Amino acid sequence: MTAEVQRYTLEQVEALELAPGAEHEDLEGWVPTLATDADLRDALEKALDYRGDVTFTLKSGEKIEAFIFDCKNGPTLAESWARYYTPAAPEKRKVSYADIARLEFTGKDRAAGKHWEDWVKKYNERKAAGEKDIALAPESLE
Amino acid sequence: MGTVAAYVLKKRFSGNKRYPLVLMLEPLFRCNLACAGCGKVQYPPHILKKQLTPEECFAAVEECGAPMVSLPGGEPLLHPRIVEIVNGLVARKKYVYLCTNALELKQRLPEFTPSKYLTFSVHLDGQREHHDFSVCREGTYDIAVEGIKEAVRRGFRVTTNATFFDGADPGSVRGFFDEVMDMGVEGIVLSPGYSYDKAPDQNRFMGRARVRRLFRAILSNRKPNWKFNMSPLFLEFLMGKRNYECTPWGSPAYNIFGWQRPCYLLQEGYAESFDELMNSTKWEEYGVSSGNPKCANCMVSCGYEPSAVIEGFGSLKGFWGMVRGTFSSYRDEQALKLLNDSAAPANLVQIEQPERALEETNV
Repeated sequence: MTAEVQRYTLEQVEALELAPGAEHEDLEGWVPTLATDADLRDALEKALDYRGDVTFTLKSGEKIEAFIFDCKNGPTLAESWARYYTPAAPEKRKVSYADIARLEFTGKDRAAGKHWEDWVKKYNERKAAGEKDIALAPESLE
Repeated sequence: MGTVAAYVLKKRFSGNKRYPLVLMLEPLFRCNLACAGCGKVQYPPHILKKQLTPEECFAAVEECGAPMVSLPGGEPLLHPRIVEIVNGLVARKKYVYLCTNALELKQRLPEFTPSKYLTFSVHLDGQREHHDFSVCREGTYDIAVEGIKEAVRRGFRVTTNATFFDGADPGSVRGFFDEVMDMGVEGIVLSPGYSYDKAPDQNRFMGRARVRRLFRAILSNRKPNWKFNMSPLFLEFLMGKRNYECTPWGSPAYNIFGWQRPCYLLQEGYAESFDELMNSTKWEEYGVSSGNPKCANCMVSCGYEPSAVIEGFGSLKGFWGMVRGTFSSYRDEQALKLLNDSAAPANLVQIEQPERALEETNV
């Protein structure tokens, strides 16, 4: 087991009253500075967790809009890769970390504003206004 | 049950230590509900439009070999070829659990054929107002109940499937059990919620101590007509009567991204094949004893019910525990006290009363 994941003793875990939830970062529009290899790895880690599309610019100049769903952190950038879907192509694609020059969090964050608290607030307001059949609707796919 | 028992024994006698019991086959992520805090459906439109083909589903099922296939999502009934997928799985003699919010169930039923291999597992999180509030749409409970009753009338196997979060009122949950059994369902499926790392909502999830108190209050002193479509040993685990390690490979998940690592709940990458998933995932980094904070609060059925099933069918002691659990009412005076102490009606809008209804017990 790696040191990074060993953070709780079994006794601590068994006594937990509330789950230690992760913080949802506001990343929409973020353009990380990629000065070092660690910067790039860190940014791609966040891109993997991001519930929206990102755009990466390759060192060749090509720009790719992508939803990243899998990353492999190898010993070097050349041995590290991200897998993604683009809005236009049906197949999975892969890019080497070593080929990425710039990364932008360009797509809408689909998790933003969808906290339980947001729903409770909306519900209370609409109920107070006398509304009936209160509902949240899925976003349009167009 | 016999099929699963034979499967577990066969694997055990062949010396196979890691094997799947239920394939979580997600044919799509698109849904017709927009439940706040859901960690499964928050994707860009081009991802929500993607779906597995029937051929991809069948290939995953063959590759995995599990005797049971759960079809969650997203909402599987939105898949344009879901009938073909279900029929193909039934033809392969897989026990299929089609998990649905039932918004479209009633009108889609004529397209399906009743079979001992097919069960509609209808998402109901509690009594009417609790369920509607939970799924963020008023009227949903009534539509789902109509679907359930019609499915039962047509001879389909039906279970209900509930997830309980912090603030769940145990008295109301027990009332809900009465209601669903009256609908004629075959059994109830339940699980505590899990704080998906990628879910937008991170504040409603119970830790293990709180889960055990809640389920002790709910599941003790059972009424004779309640039936659970789950391992009795897993229910005892939720009540704090047993300890299990997670069996993440017991319910592997396959979707448009591939084979999800390490389990249905965490998304730490994808393998291209089932063998790659089984052989290259660092399993020792997951589960409660690993200390991994992402696993710290998890007592969810997809990880722990396989552990219970394997014990139940893998040893005489476990089998006897299942038999005893099936017929026990779990008399428990302290649990009754817990239940009575929480008898005040719970506020639906839990965020305004974050303190839970159940109080600490030292028993």
